[in-house]
Amino acid sequence: MSVRENTSTRLEVDLANGGDTGTTPVAPPVRRRRSSSVGAKVEIAVLVGPALIVFLGFVIFPVVMAAYYGFFSWQGYGPPTDFVGFRNYITIIQDPTFQEALTHNGIIVVLSLVLQGPVAILLALLLNRKLRGQSLIRVLIFVPYVISEVVVGTGWSLMLQSNGAVNGMLEKLGLGAFSQDWLSNPDIAIWTLMVIITWKYVGFAVILFLAGLQGIPEELPEAAAIDGASFWQIQRHITLPLLAPTLRIWAFLSIIGALQLFDLVYIIWGQYIASTAGTSTMATYLVANGRNAGNYGYGNAVAVVLFLISLVVALIYQRFVLNRDTEGAITDKGTKK
Amino acid sequence: MKVNHTTAKRIFAGTMVLGLSALGLTACSTDSGDTSAGGDVTMSLWQNSTTGPGQEFWKKTVADFEADNPGVTIDVQAIQNEDLDGKLQTALNSGDAPDIFLQRGGGKMAAMVAAGQLMDITEGISDQVKEEIPEGSFIANSLEDKVYAMPVAVLPGGIFYSQDLFDAAGITEAPATITDLETAVEKLKTTGVAPIALGAKDAWPAAHWFYFFALRECSPDVLAEAADTKDFSDDCWIKAGEDLESFAATEPYNQGFLTTAAQQGAGSSAGLVANHQAAMELMGAWNPGVIASLTPDEKPLADLSWFPFPEIDGGEGEPGSILGGVDGYSCSVDAPAECLDFLNYIGSADVQKEYYAAFNAPPVNTVAQEAVTEPYLKEIIAAYNAAPYVSQWLDTVYGQNVGNALNVGVVDLLAGKGSPEQLIQAVNDAAKKA
Repeated sequence: MSVRENTSTRLEVDLANGGDTGTTPVAPPVRRRRSSSVGAKVEIAVLVGPALIVFLGFVIFPVVMAAYYGFFSWQGYGPPTDFVGFRNYITIIQDPTFQEALTHNGIIVVLSLVLQGPVAILLALLLNRKLRGQSLIRVLIFVPYVISEVVVGTGWSLMLQSNGAVNGMLEKLGLGAFSQDWLSNPDIAIWTLMVIITWKYVGFAVILFLAGLQGIPEELPEAAAIDGASFWQIQRHITLPLLAPTLRIWAFLSIIGALQLFDLVYIIWGQYIASTAGTSTMATYLVANGRNAGNYGYGNAVAVVLFLISLVVALIYQRFVLNRDTEGAITDKGTKK
Repeated sequence: MKVNHTTAKRIFAGTMVLGLSALGLTACSTDSGDTSAGGDVTMSLWQNSTTGPGQEFWKKTVADFEADNPGVTIDVQAIQNEDLDGKLQTALNSGDAPDIFLQRGGGKMAAMVAAGQLMDITEGISDQVKEEIPEGSFIANSLEDKVYAMPVAVLPGGIFYSQDLFDAAGITEAPATITDLETAVEKLKTTGVAPIALGAKDAWPAAHWFYFFALRECSPDVLAEAADTKDFSDDCWIKAGEDLESFAATEPYNQGFLTTAAQQGAGSSAGLVANHQAAMELMGAWNPGVIASLTPDEKPLADLSWFPFPEIDGGEGEPGSILGGVDGYSCSVDAPAECLDFLNYIGSADVQKEYYAAFNAPPVNTVAQEAVTEPYLKEIIAAYNAAPYVSQWLDTVYGQNVGNALNVGVVDLLAGKGSPEQLIQAVNDAAKKA
């Protein structure tokens, strides 16, 4: 905004300059231009300053400090003194528990996309049509997303206990054969987690897609229908392509969320047994081996690894998937100028 | 389109903030500001009782102390037991420690002493308290002849059980050996209750089983040496793991024990005992109080009984040896002098009697011990006094890092995810992360 204002004042100045054909046409505008650009700089500083300070103080500074602490064997008391080079990083990469956690993150990334995507698209298409009780259904689908992770985690972990409500209900329905140790059987715990994640976050995807669908002009499906396209042909060839930018953003959010998943796992499986149950993530590994074990140097190194993995994934995604949307934005800006 | 771009950017920045919030933990540090100069003193107290009479005890004790010491205010914070150690360490690291806090002793206390975080209270203990609390209890809270915490309770471990459920299963005598225990487990299974409740979600209750087998298999010398060297290469450690593995193979624990918490709610292991859904639980002597808070009427369990951990054949450990902590309270190094007065106050016989009444746990003060009436608490005190060798809980002895790895390794073993060899390997690997 400030940039545009700057150009416009310059234009005004030039106009005033051109209009005035009298004496000394050059000197005053230069002075005035300089003073206005100083003003603009002050304006930039005032507007950007607070955000920049917060960003530097709470994002960049901690990253730098974590990178620094990661090179030490440090129990957290006093300043770190025992420099160990890359030992922490080598230990992390070689630790089978970390490799398992990383694998779980990978599984969660893929399954989140595969499970939530199609379900959310279908629900969004359904809710985009005229339907009785539409707003009620929308609310019901979105409610899980609004509930705090702690409440969701506590609720599900109580219901899914071996003698909990879910198994109790299965037994009452005569389906006792299907009752399981949903949380404590390492073979199925991660699937239980995926069901909870899907239940919790599918509403968010639906809302995003609904917003995207509402941005599609009605004329397009209408015209296609007149040309004889069936409902599914319209969805396949008109709705989905136009929804693609929304899908790409949702997938990005989902991937990053899956990589950093912490709270649900920590609430349901607690501080210790996520790795035993096969649901550990990089973030729970960080807390278990950094904070719980009191190895703060090692924990910082894990945080750096987690950060780098998320960063690389985010950058690759932006470069190869989101770049279409970004290009559009840049050309848009160019034509305006 | 532009919206997408900026949204993406903003999301990206948000992501970074999220990803880094964990890193921020270590970033800031401030000094605690309270001093004893001038009249009014405010102190903070962290304790781990979040329910009923235990919490009442702290409120009343603090109120009484404040009434006797005008100008002193103590702010009591109840912190759930599983969160306490982590929170405390974070607070100590950041230089914003509470003035008075629960002290578990062992390697954890040694780390705090090494960091210069604890007040040396050796000279400040009143003569009366010194007379009434046996020296042995102070030793648990001492390092190199300096006392760093006021002991409040002796909490040895053993197996708590429901007499009614034992009677129903036709078990007439408390098991004295592991073979007896296995027989009892088989009998209990036929009655439909879970033989043994286990809160493996919190890891340490599962690890207690391994610690007791280690206490039976390993000689006191090996145990003490491991505390110094963190070397677990002696055969007895593997044997203890194998003992636990073969005992676990009889499936004695409640279904879904892996995700069962120790103390929270009716579904926890203590809750299962409190509601007669499980017959036994291996626990420290704080358990009667925890069970009492989880019974339907929140009264102590009427048929609660106790027997020491069974003996095994051919171990190097001395029969009758017992594991158990001495819970104490420490003053932070920056705490005002009044902190010491408060520690002497909670060590006094009157407060200790109230402590026993509130927590249903054996007090450390010998005068207060005379007030104990429950047979199971008397048995615990007797077994403790008769034990030829007493060790603290091994996770406390070996410190936070190794202790943590040990606890998680035992859970893996019980879940069938690891062998005794892998357990020892995991403990050795933990040393690399320090």
